[in-house]
Amino acid sequence: MEELELELKQEIIKVLNLEDMTPDDIETDAPLFGEGLGLDSIDVLEIIVLLEKKYGIKLANPAEGKGIFKSIATIADYVSKNRKK
Amino acid sequence: MIYILADNITSPLGATTQENLEAVLQGRSALRRYEGLWGIPTAVCASLFSREQTARMAREGMTRFEAFAYCSAREAMSRCKIDVASERTLFVLSTTKGNIELLGTEKEQRISPTEAAEHIARALGFKGEPLTVCNACISGVSAMITAGRLLEAGCYDTAVVTGADVACRFTVSGFQALKAVSEDACRPFDLERLGLNLGEAAATVVLSRKAPEGAPALWAIEAGAVNNDAHHITSPSPRAEGASAALRAVASDDLALINAHGTATMFNDQMESVAIAGCGHGDVPVNALKGYTGHTLGAAGILETVLTAAALERGFILPTKGYSERGVSGRIDIVSALRKTDGRRFVKMISGFGGGNAALSLVRTEAKEEFAEKKVPEFVRTHSVKITPDKVLVDGREIACEGEGLAKLTALYKQYIASYPKYYKMDPLARLGFVASELLLQAEGKERKEEDATRGVVLCNSSSSIMADRAYEATVGAGDNYYPSPSAFIYTLPNIVTGEIALRNGYRGETSFCIMPRKDEALIDRIVGATLLDRRLDSLIAGWIDCTDDTHYEASIYIIESNK
Repeated sequence: MEELELELKQEIIKVLNLEDMTPDDIETDAPLFGEGLGLDSIDVLEIIVLLEKKYGIKLANPAEGKGIFKSIATIADYVSKNRKK
Repeated sequence: MIYILADNITSPLGATTQENLEAVLQGRSALRRYEGLWGIPTAVCASLFSREQTARMAREGMTRFEAFAYCSAREAMSRCKIDVASERTLFVLSTTKGNIELLGTEKEQRISPTEAAEHIARALGFKGEPLTVCNACISGVSAMITAGRLLEAGCYDTAVVTGADVACRFTVSGFQALKAVSEDACRPFDLERLGLNLGEAAATVVLSRKAPEGAPALWAIEAGAVNNDAHHITSPSPRAEGASAALRAVASDDLALINAHGTATMFNDQMESVAIAGCGHGDVPVNALKGYTGHTLGAAGILETVLTAAALERGFILPTKGYSERGVSGRIDIVSALRKTDGRRFVKMISGFGGGNAALSLVRTEAKEEFAEKKVPEFVRTHSVKITPDKVLVDGREIACEGEGLAKLTALYKQYIASYPKYYKMDPLARLGFVASELLLQAEGKERKEEDATRGVVLCNSSSSIMADRAYEATVGAGDNYYPSPSAFIYTLPNIVTGEIALRNGYRGETSFCIMPRKDEALIDRIVGATLLDRRLDSLIAGWIDCTDDTHYEASIYIIESNK
């Protein structure tokens, strides 16, 4: 799981252009929205594209993502259970 | 006030306003579900011109987009007498993506909307240079407002305003990436709405301060307003500040109806209901027309205004096709079946990416007077910033800066601005505008306010969003490798840079992006002056901002203070 979490952090930094950030700067359990990284609705859509492209997970309705996109830990958990590649 | 001398709607439902009205009165919709369109792996529901219709409109030397716009403008112009060759007659094109279908082809140099505007204008017989208004979904209404003000300011006598867009892989994939589209026909304001459908169309109004002699009653534009939400670059504000401000600025209390944007996305329709109810118009009939023609982007504001007016002229309020049960929190009167009315005044509302919201009030009136010119307030440039690959000038003084090419912008950001990580998400055009505006505001030296409804942003260029267009196209892919990037798509709307500046600074005044054949300072000043006819504005960030590649870019922007 730790490996997947690290990989997700690296990928998210890349696709969201989180310049000047390293995986160490992102806490695995910290909220991604609001307080934490301050991501927004477009970032969610970009993460949905990432999940589809890299792990073959299709999330048609962004509303489904509410529970999934809380933190790196919740995304990693969802990916490990649903990944197709 | 400004008269509408003639109009046209060219859509898959018909080639004239009356043909479109008849089709809509019969309840017909041009929305169809297509499979396997343009290599897109999912079904697409859209309103598209048939092969026969396209062939009928085709013109030698013109692209599909240009031919649709040309046919619409020509038909409207054939219904009135205007001096098309006069320098006091202006052609205004409203579009979001113009000839985007040419991206990656050998005709790519024609991709800027201003190139298309020139081709159309020349074919129609115009001698003066055209103006293109490119404000995402609100383009059509904002083009009518801009043209109307240029007439009121006495810059021109007549303006032909044509809005058009074609549906293609580029735009459809982009709206898909933003999860904004429905695979079935859209359901504006409905509980079960799932998103919008795109549509191809062109629509035209011919505007004048003077009615022709012996003319009967005419439609006239009474007032128009644009306000930014300064909330988010694509999501409308749940509190509907911008839409409410625009609506309040134009609405009177005897409205026959409000024709809403009604895209059938969750957020847009909800936001509009909040604006309409919150402004005290809960008892005014509200309709939305996208169930007939889809969302026709650059044409939408004009098409829906013209269709609403044509129906009212016959005493009808058109039903909201696709609507059955209210799925918005604002308590508003959504029209689900054809209604009779003897009302003669309505408001068109529209909102779009970049945070822009516009409202336009129209009235059916007897044509007698020539409406008086309005005096443009005097204005001065108080501060200036110029950024080119060679030099960065703030109020005429060069400032030190590292970096070559576009990397210079990031160097400027790090050295003089910093602490706004969103900068890194922006495309080069938005970065250029953002950095230039930050340096400009530092030169002004005022404290940043939470919100400021007295300042607007009006920027112009000639290359539209070419760098972002290429960057987005590279992400789209096809088949099993179809992954269009939502964030890259957003920046293919050049007005996003005005939205970024508004968002950063809480500016809730007008935001607008215009495209012209070349950097024409006199025309930019006319647009600035016309914008300042909106007396709610005290100042603007305005000027030129163009970016075509790593070594070709320029921002020349100013703070403009109005001496109203």
